[in-house]
Amino acid sequence: MNLDVFRIAAEPYYQPLGNEIATFQAAYAERLPVMLKGPTGCGKTRFVEHMAWRLGKPLITVAAHEDMTAADLAGRYLLEPSGTVWHDGPLTLAVRHGGICYLDEIVEARQDTTVVIHPLTDARRILPLEKHNEIVPAHPDFQLTISYNPGYQSAVKDLKESTKQRFVAIDFGYPPPSTEASIIVRESGTDDALASILVAIGERSRNLQGHGLDEGASTRMLIHAGRMVRAGLPLEMAVQSSIVLPITDNPDIRAALSDAIQACLP
Amino acid sequence: MNATEPPLTLHLVPPDQEDSATRRLHRLMRARETLRPMFLAAWDALSHHFDASELEAWACAVLTLAHVNAGPACLIAYWEASRYGDGRREIAPLLVAGQAAADICRHAGAQSATAALQALPGAGRVLGNGPALARWWRVMDALARQAPESVTSVAANIGEILTPGTIDAFENFVAAGLKFASGNKARRLAFFTLQDELARRMIARDLGSVTFPETELELKAFVTALWGRSPLLRSFPADNSQTPQRRTSIAGPLIRLPETYRGVRGKAARALFRAAATHAQAHLVLGQGLFPVGTLKPLQIALVNLIEDARIETLAMQQLPGLRRLWAPYHVATPSGVVAAPTLLARLARALFDPTYADNDSFVAKGREMFAASAPRIDDPAISREIGMLLGNDLGQMRVQFNAKTYVVEPVYRDDGLGLWDFGEDAPPSGEVMELPVDAVRVERQEAPNDDGTSREPDEQGQPRGRGRPVAPDDRGVVIAKYPEWDREHRIERAEWTVVREVPARAGDPRRIEDALDQADVLRNRIGRLMRGVRIGRTIRLNRQHDGHDLDLDAVLDAGIALRTGREPDPRVFRSSTSMHRDLAALLLIDISESTRDRLASGATILDVERLAVSVLAEAMDRLGDPFSLLAFASNGREDVKMTTVKSFDEAYDRTCRARLAGLKSGLSTRLGTALRHAGHVIGRETSARKLVIVLTDGEPSDIDVSDPLDLVEDARRAAVGLHAAGIDAYGVVLGHPGIQATSRIFGRGNTMMVHRIEDLPGRLSELYFRLARR
Repeated sequence: MNLDVFRIAAEPYYQPLGNEIATFQAAYAERLPVMLKGPTGCGKTRFVEHMAWRLGKPLITVAAHEDMTAADLAGRYLLEPSGTVWHDGPLTLAVRHGGICYLDEIVEARQDTTVVIHPLTDARRILPLEKHNEIVPAHPDFQLTISYNPGYQSAVKDLKESTKQRFVAIDFGYPPPSTEASIIVRESGTDDALASILVAIGERSRNLQGHGLDEGASTRMLIHAGRMVRAGLPLEMAVQSSIVLPITDNPDIRAALSDAIQACLP
Repeated sequence: MNATEPPLTLHLVPPDQEDSATRRLHRLMRARETLRPMFLAAWDALSHHFDASELEAWACAVLTLAHVNAGPACLIAYWEASRYGDGRREIAPLLVAGQAAADICRHAGAQSATAALQALPGAGRVLGNGPALARWWRVMDALARQAPESVTSVAANIGEILTPGTIDAFENFVAAGLKFASGNKARRLAFFTLQDELARRMIARDLGSVTFPETELELKAFVTALWGRSPLLRSFPADNSQTPQRRTSIAGPLIRLPETYRGVRGKAARALFRAAATHAQAHLVLGQGLFPVGTLKPLQIALVNLIEDARIETLAMQQLPGLRRLWAPYHVATPSGVVAAPTLLARLARALFDPTYADNDSFVAKGREMFAASAPRIDDPAISREIGMLLGNDLGQMRVQFNAKTYVVEPVYRDDGLGLWDFGEDAPPSGEVMELPVDAVRVERQEAPNDDGTSREPDEQGQPRGRGRPVAPDDRGVVIAKYPEWDREHRIERAEWTVVREVPARAGDPRRIEDALDQADVLRNRIGRLMRGVRIGRTIRLNRQHDGHDLDLDAVLDAGIALRTGREPDPRVFRSSTSMHRDLAALLLIDISESTRDRLASGATILDVERLAVSVLAEAMDRLGDPFSLLAFASNGREDVKMTTVKSFDEAYDRTCRARLAGLKSGLSTRLGTALRHAGHVIGRETSARKLVIVLTDGEPSDIDVSDPLDLVEDARRAAVGLHAAGIDAYGVVLGHPGIQATSRIFGRGNTMMVHRIEDLPGRLSELYFRLARR
């Protein structure tokens, strides 16, 4: 089977913030698994796409969720008219044919599910398929990348120590204001002045993190606000609909955030 | 119904209980010709709503009233209240009323009790029938004890007194009256009959005004969003309506705002709160340290403040241009009117804030010029002092009138400026400043003496601190239990070896806890999030079920394969989900032995950290509705294991508990085994399916009469095993390294959590609880 459908044709825009590209390249060269940490909307997924493009490898993305079972990752027998047929899961696909497997928000999955990646992430680099009675050795191109958001992690939802310690980690944060403004300009097509106002607004909401908001407005959110403005909405309305309303339902916090945003507007 | 008819209701009397209260009450009433018709009318009305057992309880309440010689008027008042009160659908409020009226009768006489019962419908209309009404009764009862003559006055004026509409306001009112009169009966009566000015002012509610608590949350979030630092906001009580509105003040890290802004309503009031808090926090974030007072005169101080205000606002608006819109409406000075210091200062303030403002006065123009000239040094607080002193000299030479006593800063949102100054030795250390009037400050306006009644800090209402508590018969405390102890050397359990004594808790200042909680805002929010996770009965998925709403794909495949290979398939091919119910009681055992006195690098003691950890968790458990209890222990030999109940299972977690928590003091040793046995005994009475004892300790057990600590470790281990056998989960949380060996020996490795950095305890403890609560 060919993984060409998973190849990324055009370069996804990514603005490096530090040495994350070099880190990832080094990890890939050694085929070490990578863990991306950071709040939502700060560019983790975009970064993986960019790296897959840069390395010219196919990228298979799996969004983890609570009900995900090991079979959903590794594969299962399905019934077909001719009989039972084994179907590789996305992880097996990447292992067998060589690609980057990206498990998004890995902690959402149950801990017993995540242990299937253990044999892949140490020196063995194999994937045992117990049901299929097969051991799949990893393709030389295969690499595993996971992401997780320490922000809404809690004591009850955390990676097992034995999982954590297999990964090389790259920490993502919100970009510094000037960089963030240039990202907003690039992604939403607004002008510099508007982008700096949006960055200031973003900072106000991030100040509320832990004081009423679980997380501040992400770069992605600010880009959306910029795009709403470009589509013709007045700035205040755009900010209200793409930042204030989605981010919280608490009326006090909403009022406070709206007013704080007012203070950022010229 | 009238008396000639046979009493229809007699058949309701439970025949099996020979001497039930109902029976006794009816017997009593039969003898009272005048009261009988009214009693029967009430009984008849009530019997439509309540069943026999509820009526029995009600009859009991009536008998209680009769036994305290409440008199016919009082009984009638009670019946009327029972018949017509809003509480007719529920028996509990009626029983509370009966009991409270009897208590009032004991302390203040039948007339007072009657008056209180007659005031009940009025109070019920305002406060509803819930806990607020029960609190109302408690206040009335307290009043009856402390000021028996005033109960009737309060009851007669209840409609007016409850104008503010909340039970807090009522409690505050009564407490203020008692304090105001300080034991003087005549003054008390004047207050409670509302002849006193202060009393009238307290109940006059400025309709539409916004109080600080109403806007606090929003205000805090707003200021945090702007400055990235959570403000510590407090309010001071509203002041006399004749004086100008008192300004915000800064005291150390605290910002104190007025309880309300008089005459400002609705949105405008919220905006003013925001403007004031933002200005004050801008000082704290952008200002740099305090100005030394030196030999400055009050006028110079006022001017330095003014320039510093302008400087800070300029800096703030450079970052957040929209703040101009927030502050601009309050700059209303105009270039006209009398040339006096306060107006000139207000005009200068406006001139420095508003570039479009035109003012020809030479003093204002000079100020503006100097401020503009120092624009390149705007980051340097020294310019405020330089310009302020020069302008102060100028103004002094102009011989304009300046009265430091009556001067208030304009515009209204600005702070009084005192928080910017270092008054040297005379000033109390920061943080405590808000407690004391700053005498050294010439610009400060003293609170009028009669303000004392209203300027109480909330904690003083709850726990009287200075008052003596009942002294225990033995100064070591009341003996509440004896427990065996394991003798390691001789391998026997010595019966009744240790003595547990209940030591009444000292009430500390609950605000210490509340302040600490305030500062642990981020942590509390995180715990809040954890809580949301467990509160809603978590759903769990069940695979391979006989029935369910969904096919379990893996099971179906297995079954299909089995069918085709000729084996018998497993019929359980469905998936379903169920929700888990929480039924958990927890007891937190807090080690307060001498070693918790040790200070950490941050300056806090281990006990301080324990206190914060416990209060964060208690807050969460309280909101979850899990029954819990907090016990503190320390020991002084086997004859004296001291237990302090901070919160018992059947108590609500309120300010009183926080005061007790704040009042805990370090001392003595750790006889853990006995404490564990006692904890097991206490929690054993709970009916929850899961029982959890969490021990917070900072080291291995020890006591003065035991030479080998291993003896106590072994005993504690046996106690923990005993708990386990009784179906109680015991869990040890150890602070710091030294205790880990012993504690994991006691509780088992899986049931021990070690906290390396003691500062992490508050977060770790709550996480542990939530993890255990999910199991």
